[in-house]
Amino acid sequence: MSEGFPETGYGSEESGTEGIRPDREGQAEAFDAIGDRYDEAFPYKKGQLAAAEWLIGALPAGSRVLDLGCGTGLPTARQLVEAGLEVVGVDLSRGMVELARQYVPRATFHRLDIADLGADGPHDLGRFDAVAAFFSLLMLPRGEIPGVLRMIHDLLVPGGLFALSMVEADVDYFTIPFLGNTIRVSGYLRDDLRQAIEEADFEVVEESSYTYAPEISDVPPEEQLFLNCARHG
Amino acid sequence: MEHRTPGQDSGRLHAGAGGGAAPRDMAVDAAPVDTGATAPSTPPSRPSSPGSGRSDRVATPPGDLPAAGRGTTPPEPAAEHPAQSAREEAEPVPGTPTDRLRYLEAATRRIAGGIDRDETLRELCRAAIPAFADAMLVHLRDPLPTGDRPPDGPLALRLHSIAQGPEDSVTGAPPGTADFVELTVTGPFAELLLAGRPVFGDAAEIAPAVGELLEPVASTPTTRSPGRWLIIAPLHGRHQLLGTVALLRGTDRPAFTGDDLLVASQLATHTAFGIDRAMLSGREASLADALQLTMLPSSLPAPTGVRLASRYLPAAETSQVGGDWYDAIPLPGNRVALVVGDVMGHSMTSAAIMGQLRTTVQTLAGLDLPPEEVLHHLDEQAQRLGSEHMATCLYAVYDPISQRLLVADAGHLPPVLLHPDGVGEVLRIPPGAPIGVGGVPFESVEMPAPTGATLLLYTDGLVESRTRDVWSGVELLRARLQAAASVVASPPLETLCDAVLTILGRGARDDDVALLAARFDGFPPRNVAYWFLNPEPQTAARARQLTRRALHRWGLDPLLDTTELLVSEVVTNAVRYASRPIALRLLRTDVLRCEVGDDSPQVPRMRRAQAGDEGGRGLFLVDRLAQRWGATRLSTGKVVWFEQPIPEECRAADP
Repeated sequence: MSEGFPETGYGSEESGTEGIRPDREGQAEAFDAIGDRYDEAFPYKKGQLAAAEWLIGALPAGSRVLDLGCGTGLPTARQLVEAGLEVVGVDLSRGMVELARQYVPRATFHRLDIADLGADGPHDLGRFDAVAAFFSLLMLPRGEIPGVLRMIHDLLVPGGLFALSMVEADVDYFTIPFLGNTIRVSGYLRDDLRQAIEEADFEVVEESSYTYAPEISDVPPEEQLFLNCARHG
Repeated sequence: MEHRTPGQDSGRLHAGAGGGAAPRDMAVDAAPVDTGATAPSTPPSRPSSPGSGRSDRVATPPGDLPAAGRGTTPPEPAAEHPAQSAREEAEPVPGTPTDRLRYLEAATRRIAGGIDRDETLRELCRAAIPAFADAMLVHLRDPLPTGDRPPDGPLALRLHSIAQGPEDSVTGAPPGTADFVELTVTGPFAELLLAGRPVFGDAAEIAPAVGELLEPVASTPTTRSPGRWLIIAPLHGRHQLLGTVALLRGTDRPAFTGDDLLVASQLATHTAFGIDRAMLSGREASLADALQLTMLPSSLPAPTGVRLASRYLPAAETSQVGGDWYDAIPLPGNRVALVVGDVMGHSMTSAAIMGQLRTTVQTLAGLDLPPEEVLHHLDEQAQRLGSEHMATCLYAVYDPISQRLLVADAGHLPPVLLHPDGVGEVLRIPPGAPIGVGGVPFESVEMPAPTGATLLLYTDGLVESRTRDVWSGVELLRARLQAAASVVASPPLETLCDAVLTILGRGARDDDVALLAARFDGFPPRNVAYWFLNPEPQTAARARQLTRRALHRWGLDPLLDTTELLVSEVVTNAVRYASRPIALRLLRTDVLRCEVGDDSPQVPRMRRAQAGDEGGRGLFLVDRLAQRWGATRLSTGKVVWFEQPIPEECRAADP
């Protein structure tokens, strides 16, 4: 278990070299405050469990999987670890990473910004057989998403798998109330998302959608999109 | 004559109340010499019958009055009322005018203290027997006149009560007498009664009727030839003859004198006015009851995702009209607001304030404000209505999609939740200050609202009584709910309401009772579609595409063309004014409902498009093609919605 990685810091922590993203700090603070309530509000993640199951079925034991925006580590990091995969989780929220370390001790977690994980960058975590990004890329401004998709492509070994979920919406960094806090979210409509993924040189293997009603009154029901993809070449 | 009548608040004597003139004059004139006799026996002043204290003017100096409740009595110049010591009120009427006046003062005060008809008559009995007479028969007019106009038909009297001792029951005729004591009065006797003049038993006008009138006490020796041992006094109210009182003395006592006739007249007049007043307040109470009932929902809405039932029981005493209310208000997104409230106090005013608060809550709910905000604004509005009106209110919002309940409380009793497994739970809601206190923040709490659970909102009349404190009542309610659910799993709502009401017991209710029950049916997320869309020129096209996909998923292809067209029109309109992403929401229930929300508060209205206008026709299309539609202004903007029926052939495909 390597915990020696230099972590991206904002605010009081020593700063990374990529510069300050004040908006992003607010996002992390919201999740620090939300903590376990996130899992209470979004308890039954049928689509997410199925997508992780797809990874498990397709990967040999011991494969390296990056869980981008791992949150509390539940249910995905734990599900993957229990299936015998080596899991590295990343989240921008310190509180979430602390919970994840507690809930899934057999995985490795880092407090890092997704945008700083670029191959050969300061926080290169190595290559992965698969990447899972469940409802995490929606926390980025839409302008950053194509670049992050490209980066994920480069973090994967050739033919590596990418399980992505988003909320279907046509918004760009739109402020919404969220579990007593506010966060900013971006979204694509299904066809636009598919196009963005394909432009990042992925093949969409499988696509599904669900209407999901969080168990909280201030978050409206959402259309969840799940895309199971594979890196070309 | 302009003398104010003792015992009356504002009325002058009816012109026909003859025989009253002399005693009134006598009473007023005599006031300076006869005072203060009866303060100890003064009945407590009742704010609800203002003026019952006005008889003070006759005989009692202000200095002898109990301090409380006499504020309406104008202070009298002290010189008119030299104080005297109190005397025993029940002593036989002695012969001197002063003694007679002292007796009258006490007697009329007693009578004026009666708060309803029977109590007024009971007080008459106590005042008259044995001090003034040995037996008394009261006949009331049948039917008793209720308005200003005399009742139709002949003047009929029915025996109301017989009393032969001060403690006799005067509330009912003796058994077996009711049948033969209804008598129709005509001729000179009727004229005499209608004129309001008391007469001795030997008056020629009454000779034909007196035997019949006294029939119920025929065994009494006097009744065969009562002569001057009998006085018959009409009970003449403000506008109408209400009945008669017959006062009999035993032969062992002196016959009535001319002065006694005046005393009897005074007693009868006060009694009649007391009855009048009781009937008036009874009418006011039934008016208030009617007012209260018209202000409650005539029917509950039937939103998808929740079933509702309610009960309202007025208090047993009509004078106790309350300010309880309940309401259920559909909100966007198939949510529903559930409300229960209670305006403190029991009066016409409580009912009127309730009506205003209920309307305010409806308006605030319509804005889709969160519960704590609804209570905050309700509190402000209540203070504008007047500082003396307090109310409690509980406001809950049920969301059948997220299956959550959001509740805020302003001093109201906590709701009880009957869980699907049959366990009853008194919900813990932070009890905020009552409405009308002002400046105290309210707090909303959120909790799961599982499908199959039942929420019960109620007012204190259900759980509190003379014999039971409020918290043991709440516990009893919880137990009763749980017991009902142990017999039948998930009992029907109406059955449950009936079961709950059994905790009231048989006795008279002191307070009104309002009850609102909500069974949570939930709403499967698969029947919902929800998107946020940036307001852009291509948004309408995107909305059409999303709508097509959702309708196809739901097997509603026959509705595609119309729905796409309408969604396109409404979204186009929203995009024109919105500055933030708009919300497109589709809900499939027994109808297809589409809601488009945006952040502009301007609610669209139908207007006739001119020939050259490019826009302006959208709402006409919606109006023409949708089954129902509407536009609701919210605190955050507005929602425009429309509904279409689901064709028969698609119903089988209900997912």
